[in-house]
Amino acid sequence: MIACVAVVGQQNNPLFIESFTEGEDELKFHYIVHCSLDVIQEKVSNPKKTGSAMNETFLGLLYPTEDYKVYGYLTNTRVKFLLVTTDQDVRDIDVRNFFRRFHAAYVDAVSNPFHVPGKRIISKAFTERVGAIVKSFGAPTT
Amino acid sequence: MLAVESLQNAELFTLTYGAIVRQLLTDFEDVDEVNKQLDTMGYHIGIRLIDDFLSKSNVTRCTEFKETAEVIAKVGFKMFLGVTATVANWDADGTECSLILDDNPLVDYVELPETCQGLYYCNVLCGVIRGALEMVSMRTEVKWVRDVLHGDDTFEMRLKLLKQVPEEYPYKDDE
Repeated sequence: MIACVAVVGQQNNPLFIESFTEGEDELKFHYIVHCSLDVIQEKVSNPKKTGSAMNETFLGLLYPTEDYKVYGYLTNTRVKFLLVTTDQDVRDIDVRNFFRRFHAAYVDAVSNPFHVPGKRIISKAFTERVGAIVKSFGAPTT
Repeated sequence: MLAVESLQNAELFTLTYGAIVRQLLTDFEDVDEVNKQLDTMGYHIGIRLIDDFLSKSNVTRCTEFKETAEVIAKVGFKMFLGVTATVANWDADGTECSLILDDNPLVDYVELPETCQGLYYCNVLCGVIRGALEMVSMRTEVKWVRDVLHGDDTFEMRLKLLKQVPEEYPYKDDE
């Protein structure tokens, strides 16, 4: 079950944050996303330590808490996608797929000539697409 | 291979057009003025495009307006935008019809913000058709009646023939 997704810009400014669980404190997700940004910063500045290639977009599991797991994805333009999930057994391939589709939706949203880069994403179509991607997360694929 | 290349060119075209519209909005700030400007731009494109179209498409002279509309929809749109339109809703005289576009490459990724709800984003297309037809002796009026960006389900232009200006020959027949 995905709890929350977020898009954070180059200056760590929030561009999009959407939570998918009812009754949860939205502020809590803001806080979790914020903490995850520090982890991303660490991973980015220590590439040798993590052992991954310099241009790897998928950052993997960033921040496991008691209830949640946070996964990160960094685009070449330093825009970060964050996924907060409550699932205990999450397959790596599922998360990678999720981020791939999320990235495609993000690219379409910023191609809107009325979108101002660096400002919040207000596209309704983007919100709908993200909702659809979230719904189909973890669905058994053939 | 050709399809992929043309797809990438189409994206550049879409993004360029989006940038033009944005710039016009910044320069003029008034949505109605921008609509007029887009139409004027389209007109200037149309009066030049018609020669390109006629030389490349090898269509014969149209005998009546109905044929003209069909040629625009099927050949013209296909050649320049890569999509075909359908002609529908003819009036009794055969001087007015609708051109319906299900697919419009100009509006890929576009969502109008609340401040620009009166904007006819694709108004340039109206100008293009108007300009092109004027160069072949037809005075027309073209405007949008349905627009996907305004919430409708498709793009529909109303094309109306105002006057057919007959060609004037510079010399008189002797007999």
